[in-house]
Amino acid sequence: MSEIERRALMKGAALSALAFTVGGKEILLSPRQARAENIPFRTLTAQQGEILEALGETLVPGAAAAGIANFVDQQLSIPPEEALLEARILNIRPPFANFYRAALSAIDRASLASNDNRAFPQISPNERHDFVDQMRQNKITGWQGPPGPFVYLVMRSDAVDVVYGTMDGYSALGVPYMAHIAPTKRW
Amino acid sequence: MATPEKVDVVIVGAGASGSVFASVLAKAGKKVVLLETGPDWQPSDLISSDFWGRRVKPAGIPFLLEGKNPYGYAYQAGWGVGGAALHYFANFPRYLPNDFKVKSEHNRGLDWPISYADLAPYYDRVAQEIGVSGDAKAEEIWRPKGEPYPMPPMKTFRNGQVWVKGLESVGIRTVPAAVGMNSVQFKGRPACIYDGWCHVGCPIGALANPVITYLADARRAGADVRALCTVTRVLTNEAGTKVAGVEYFDAKKEKQVQEASVVILAAWAAQNPRLMLNSSTDKHPKGLANASGLLGKYMMAHYASGTWALFDEDVEPHMGTVGAQYMSYDRYDKTSKKGAFGSTYIVAGTALKTSDLGGFANARLDLFGQPLADFMQRAKRGITRLTAFGEEMPNIENRIELADGKDQFGMPLAKIVHSFDQDAVALWNANFEEGLTIAKATGAKEYWSARGNQPTIHLFGGTIMGREASDSITDSYGQTHEIPNLWVAGPGLFPTEGASNPTYTIFAVSQRGAEQLVSKWGTVAG
Repeated sequence: MSEIERRALMKGAALSALAFTVGGKEILLSPRQARAENIPFRTLTAQQGEILEALGETLVPGAAAAGIANFVDQQLSIPPEEALLEARILNIRPPFANFYRAALSAIDRASLASNDNRAFPQISPNERHDFVDQMRQNKITGWQGPPGPFVYLVMRSDAVDVVYGTMDGYSALGVPYMAHIAPTKRW
Repeated sequence: MATPEKVDVVIVGAGASGSVFASVLAKAGKKVVLLETGPDWQPSDLISSDFWGRRVKPAGIPFLLEGKNPYGYAYQAGWGVGGAALHYFANFPRYLPNDFKVKSEHNRGLDWPISYADLAPYYDRVAQEIGVSGDAKAEEIWRPKGEPYPMPPMKTFRNGQVWVKGLESVGIRTVPAAVGMNSVQFKGRPACIYDGWCHVGCPIGALANPVITYLADARRAGADVRALCTVTRVLTNEAGTKVAGVEYFDAKKEKQVQEASVVILAAWAAQNPRLMLNSSTDKHPKGLANASGLLGKYMMAHYASGTWALFDEDVEPHMGTVGAQYMSYDRYDKTSKKGAFGSTYIVAGTALKTSDLGGFANARLDLFGQPLADFMQRAKRGITRLTAFGEEMPNIENRIELADGKDQFGMPLAKIVHSFDQDAVALWNANFEEGLTIAKATGAKEYWSARGNQPTIHLFGGTIMGREASDSITDSYGQTHEIPNLWVAGPGLFPTEGASNPTYTIFAVSQRGAEQLVSKWGTVAG
């Protein structure tokens, strides 16, 4: 691969850590580490990050600590041809941030409207579960945004990715990873 | 604008079909340039990870998706050298004789201008060239005799073996799946180690992707592969009787012209007609080679009816290859399912990862939260899947056409309009029903259909082959009827799609076309 392609594609292509910005410098961290170190979002607002984290945890237990919000945020900040998001293979047209912003806004509006003006992160776990179940079945009245079942699919995929799709995720589940070329970090 | 030296052949696209043409032509001494819109991937780029494996697929394409069943391209599409075959599953079933004569035999669909017998020697040649594992003799219960495969069948695992009894219970025989993988060392390439990462690209060369087979041969023979080069237009002479080369944007986004004696479009079944439509001139006002008006028409896709089963025993879901361990053509007759029409091709035994579209977290898409976590624990040892692929008949309304809006190079966007007809829906449903019957007979603890939106898998048509300029775009070799030095390659040539995985047939059709081009070079390029 030529140098221009390497620059065009990604730094550290063989790494599984992602480039996060800390103090104006880029450092390589796993999304879990980025979340633990409270790395600021690059693309999402803090409110959008909170919604995404609460949604991710509702979809797949462990997704919040695994850094779903930091993962998605970092991925939205890089060129789409470098992105590792499942959005890429779900036929979402770049820039992917447009989809995520629209989806998170739809969730926010719908939660406020149906939960006594409480945002999604503020409602109880049971209420979140019911909300997601309604969204999954496209049953939320007045929903405005990408179709609820598709939002469910994309966000569920992201949550599955960060919890079950990493080498650590395989290890925790007890499934042999068996890499030919292993990601050099286990996130 | 720089104009590089004129070459013998410029090939648009370095995927499965383009790589075959490049190999045959370069080895015949032709000066070959391949222009590939994506990167020049190396085997060392193929990291075993569902995250990182997404990099070898396109991030958005310049197509709008319309119709009742919009074509879902991204999971199966290629971006970069090797194309989709960089990450294909390397299932290598053949088409059967009945695939070539659907119109003659059923007054449905279209006929190919060639028969199985015309293609059979090329299947055999491809098998010897790049390596196929399987049991050719066993397959002859469904097809004419041919040469044995160069390698014995692959290993099987419990996740495949558990389906055999259930399939037999409904009269479906199985044989070892033919695959483009090494069951033993082959031509210096190692044997498969059954780790189930085929779908993100095999970096060790056990799976025959074009980067380590045809494209490597082409490079050794002097072919020039230019990555990150996007062709926007095919250029013709003033009279419109010949093509003169292509216009493209290079890796620096600068416009270039590559002159060539022969142009071969091997971009993608959807991109080839887009390019030909965008290359219209006053001599070809409807697009190149489109006197018939059929350019971009008869797009087709496969669909799958999956059945999941969960066993108490450990079936080692993580072991094997992503393709198949067993295959069957026992439902391949076009009328094998009452109330439907089209072939069904059945495979069993696939390695499963946790995440991504094919991962077992998606086996129960309705589950989330703790129920999903509980399911993952149950499934990690006991889950397996059976898949029945179905055939769609060619429909002129399923098409590619230029659309409003332009891409980053100023080229018009196109749209893919696709809807399944009633026969395809009926066959999809019938295959789900039979899948449940089969699963029940396996003794599985739980089983269920993998229902959702009817999927679109593979892509065919748009530049179909035929006998006359009035009913098709090219002849059976891929040479366009109207412009002798403009050729098309790939599954876009297929007038019908069969039901089995197409890449082996793509290789065989391309090998046949490339050899024909070499043999008549003087009349084509002169």
